[in-house]
Amino acid sequence: MSNKALAGLRIIELGPYVALPLTGRILASLGAEVIKVETNKVLDEMAFIPAWSRGAGQPDFQRLKKRVSIDVRTPDGLEVFRELVKVSDVFMTNFRRNILDRWGIDFPELRRLRPDIILMWQTGLGGIGPYYTYKSYGILVQHMGGVSLMTGEEGEPPSAINTSYSDYHTGVFQPSAIIGALMRRRMTGQPATMESSIFKSGAVTAGPPILDYQANGRLPQRIANRDAANAPHGVYPCQGQDRWCAIAVQNQAQWDGFRRAMGNPPWSDEPEFATAEGRLSNQPRLDALIGEWTAQLTADAVMERMQREGVPAAIVSQGDDLYHSPHLAARDFYRPTPYYAAQRGTPAWEWEKGDSVAWTTPARLSETPMEFGHYSNIGEDNPYVFQEILGMSESEIESLSESGALY
Amino acid sequence: MTRYPELSTIQAAIKARDGSAGLLGHFQFAVLKHFTLSISPEEVQYIMPPQQPQQGTLLPPYRVLDLSGPEAVFCGKLLADYGADVVRVEPPTGDASRSRPPFAGDAPGPDRSLYFLFYNTNKRSVTLDLQTPRGRELFRRLAAKADVVLESFPPGYMDSLDIGYDALQKINPGIVMASVTPFGQTGPWRDYRSTDLIALAASGFMQITGEPDGPPMRQGNEQSHFPGAQFAAASILAALYYRDFADGEGQYIDVSLQEALITYYTDAHPALAWMQMGENVTRVGATSTLVIPLGAYPSADGWISAGIITPREWDTLAEWIYEVTGNEEVLNEAYRGGNQDRAPFNDIITALVIDFTTRYTSEYLFHEGQRRNLVFIPVNTVSDLLTDPQLESSNFWFPLDHPETGTLQYPLGVFDSEEVSPSTNPAPRLGQDNDAVYGNELGLTAPELAELRRNGVI
Repeated sequence: MSNKALAGLRIIELGPYVALPLTGRILASLGAEVIKVETNKVLDEMAFIPAWSRGAGQPDFQRLKKRVSIDVRTPDGLEVFRELVKVSDVFMTNFRRNILDRWGIDFPELRRLRPDIILMWQTGLGGIGPYYTYKSYGILVQHMGGVSLMTGEEGEPPSAINTSYSDYHTGVFQPSAIIGALMRRRMTGQPATMESSIFKSGAVTAGPPILDYQANGRLPQRIANRDAANAPHGVYPCQGQDRWCAIAVQNQAQWDGFRRAMGNPPWSDEPEFATAEGRLSNQPRLDALIGEWTAQLTADAVMERMQREGVPAAIVSQGDDLYHSPHLAARDFYRPTPYYAAQRGTPAWEWEKGDSVAWTTPARLSETPMEFGHYSNIGEDNPYVFQEILGMSESEIESLSESGALY
Repeated sequence: MTRYPELSTIQAAIKARDGSAGLLGHFQFAVLKHFTLSISPEEVQYIMPPQQPQQGTLLPPYRVLDLSGPEAVFCGKLLADYGADVVRVEPPTGDASRSRPPFAGDAPGPDRSLYFLFYNTNKRSVTLDLQTPRGRELFRRLAAKADVVLESFPPGYMDSLDIGYDALQKINPGIVMASVTPFGQTGPWRDYRSTDLIALAASGFMQITGEPDGPPMRQGNEQSHFPGAQFAAASILAALYYRDFADGEGQYIDVSLQEALITYYTDAHPALAWMQMGENVTRVGATSTLVIPLGAYPSADGWISAGIITPREWDTLAEWIYEVTGNEEVLNEAYRGGNQDRAPFNDIITALVIDFTTRYTSEYLFHEGQRRNLVFIPVNTVSDLLTDPQLESSNFWFPLDHPETGTLQYPLGVFDSEEVSPSTNPAPRLGQDNDAVYGNELGLTAPELAELRRNGVI
C-alpha cells in the first residue's frame, strides 16, 4: 500500500500563471503524477516573478511535477502530447478556445484518444458564453466577484489586494472537483468535462450579500475593519514602522478581558463604554484611546496580552514575521528549496540555481501526508516521461529535441 | 492480497439480515477490506455496496457529519453541493450562525438567517446536545456509520468529550476526520482565539490590502471562510479516494487557516521577499507600482478596472484616449514602451486615464475595451452578478425554494459540465431530519425519540 492518496493517477497540466499550476501543485502533493507540459520557447510570465529574484517563487507552484518540454504548436510535439493523453487520467488547461483551436487541441478528439479522460478547462472569464474571447488578468478579475466593493471605507475607491487574489480561489476549487470526478469515474465508468473560470470562482464566494440583495434589496456596505455588532474591532498602531495589532472584541466577557489586558485604565470605566451599543456609537474616541496605549507597545506584546485574557488578537503579519514565526517553524511550514533564475532566450538547463523557500502545505493528512518533494526545472523530467512512460527511443528523443518539437 | 467478497454476496448478506438493501453506511471499503467471504452480522451493518452518485452529482452520498463553525462551514457546503450527504449536527437551540444577520425581511428567526442559508445549502440538519453523555453516545453511533467528520472547535475540545479522532477511529477505522482551526492543531499559537479579522491579520493578508497611506485593511465578505475550507475539501476527497480505491484506511486531517491564507497570496511571497531582500511586501491600493496604468478608475456610472501590460496595449489605449479627448499629451513618446517606462509618469497618466474613463459607462468600457483587445474589467457589486450574461449562460445560478424566503438564486455552478450538476436543496430547517436520521437510519423507536426530545438531547 502506497502512502500517497492519489497514487497511480496521471494528470497533464498545460498552462501558465497561478490558478492552474496551483491546482497541479496540490494534486501532486496529494500523490498524483502531474506532468507539466511547457516549452522553453515561450516562458510562463510567472517564471519571472518576483521581479527581484526571477523564478524564486516558482517552487511553490511547480514543485513535485514531472516537467517536460513539448512544443504542442509543432506537429511532432502535438503527436507526443497525444500519446501522453492516451496514458493519462486527467487533462487540464487554461488556454482559451481560439488558442487551443489554433494548436489543434480539441476536447472531443482527446476523448477519442482516451475515452475516460477527465477534462478540466479553466479560463479567466469563461471558456464558452458571451465572454469566451475576452482577455483577462487575474489581478483585475478579483473586481468582478463583488469583493472589492465590500472592502475598505464607504465612499473611497475600491480596495484591492496586492496579489492575484481570485486566481487562488480557482486554483484551490479545482483539485476537489477533479478528485470528485475521478471518484465518479471509478464508480460509474463515466468521464466528465468541467469548465471553470476565475470569474465564476469569485462569484461563488460572493456569500450572504447575494441573498441579502435578493431578499431585502440591500447592497453590501463597506465597513472597513469595524464589526456591526461589537467594538473595539480593528487594527491599532504599535511601536515601529507600519506595525499594527488587530483586536476583535465580540462580547462582554471579552470586553472585560480587554480591560484587564490594558491594566484597567480609568477611561475604560466610563459608562459610555459599558455596553456594545455605547462602544459602537463612540468608536472614534474609543479607538483613539486604545491607539494611545498600543502605540507604546510592540504588536507582539499587545497580541500576547490580549490572548492571555482570552481576547482574539493578532499582529498584522509582515514577511519578516512569517519568515521568523516560531509558530510556523514549529509546524515546519516554510522549507528551503532550490530554484532556477529564469532568463529569456536561454534554455532552462542553463539557468542559474539559487536558494529560496516554499510552503509545505496547510493540510496535514495523518496517513497520506502531502509531500514537499523535489523541484524540477523545465524539461528535467524529459527522460522519465519520454522513455519510461512513452517508450520512445533515445535517438527519436534527440532528433525531436533538435527539431524543436521537444524543446 | 486481501480477498474482497463479491458485491452480490454482500448484498445477499445484507438482505438476509434486514430484508432490504440496507440504509446504513455508504462507502465502508476500509471495513470491507477486512472481510473474508464469511461475513458476520455485526460487520454487515457497516458495509454497503458502492452507491452510484445521485443523478448528475459529482459525488456519491458520502455521509459527512458537519460540526463546523466559520472556518470550515464552506467545506461542508461544497461537499454537499457536490452531492455528499452532509448532516449538520446542531445543538438543540440551533447552530450559533442561525442567529447571524442579515435575515430574510430583516425578521430574525432560526430559519431566516441569510448567512446560514448561504453556507448550508444541500445539507440536512439534526439536533444533538454533545454536552450530555446520551448525546455523545448518539454521536458515536452516527460516526460509526459516517464517512467524514468535519469540525472547527478549539483544538482538544472533541477529545475532551471523548469524541475526538482517537475515539472515533476505534469505532470506525474508515472515518476521515478533518479539523479546520485558526492556527492548526500544533505549535505555540494553536490555542489562540481568532475571528475573521484576526485570521486575516495573522496570515498577513491585511498587510497587503488597502491604501498605501492608510491602515491595513480587512478584505470584505469574510474571506477567511474560504481558504481553509477549500484545502479541507480537497484533502477529505483525496483521503476518501485513498480509503475506497487504494486499499487505504481512514485518517485525520489538520488544516491551519493561517497557513491556507498565506498560500492565497503566494505570488506576493512575503517570506521570500524578507529572506532575499530584507523587505516587507505592503499595500498599493487598487493600483500597482510595477504595471502602469493598472487600477480601478471612476466611470460615468461607477468603477472600471484596467491593466495595460504590453507596449502594444499602451499604444492602443493612448490612441483611443486621444480619439475621445483630443488631448495630445497622451501621445507623448516618453510614455510609450513597457510598464517601467511609464513609472515616472504615473500621476499624469492616471489623470489622463480618469479623464477618459469618466466619459463612459463601465459596461461600455468593458466590452469596447475587449473589442480593442484591451483588458477592461468591471468592478461589480452583487446586483451586477445576478444580471451578468456570462454567468447566466453557464449554469451558474440555481433557484432554491425555501419555506421562509421563497425562491432565491444561489451561485452553485462553480464549474459547468454536461455530465455533472450540483445538488439543489436549500439549507435545512433546524432539526428537520431528526426522525429520518435517528429513526429510520439509527433505528431508534418513536418512544425513544420522544424521550430524547423530552430530555433536551435532540
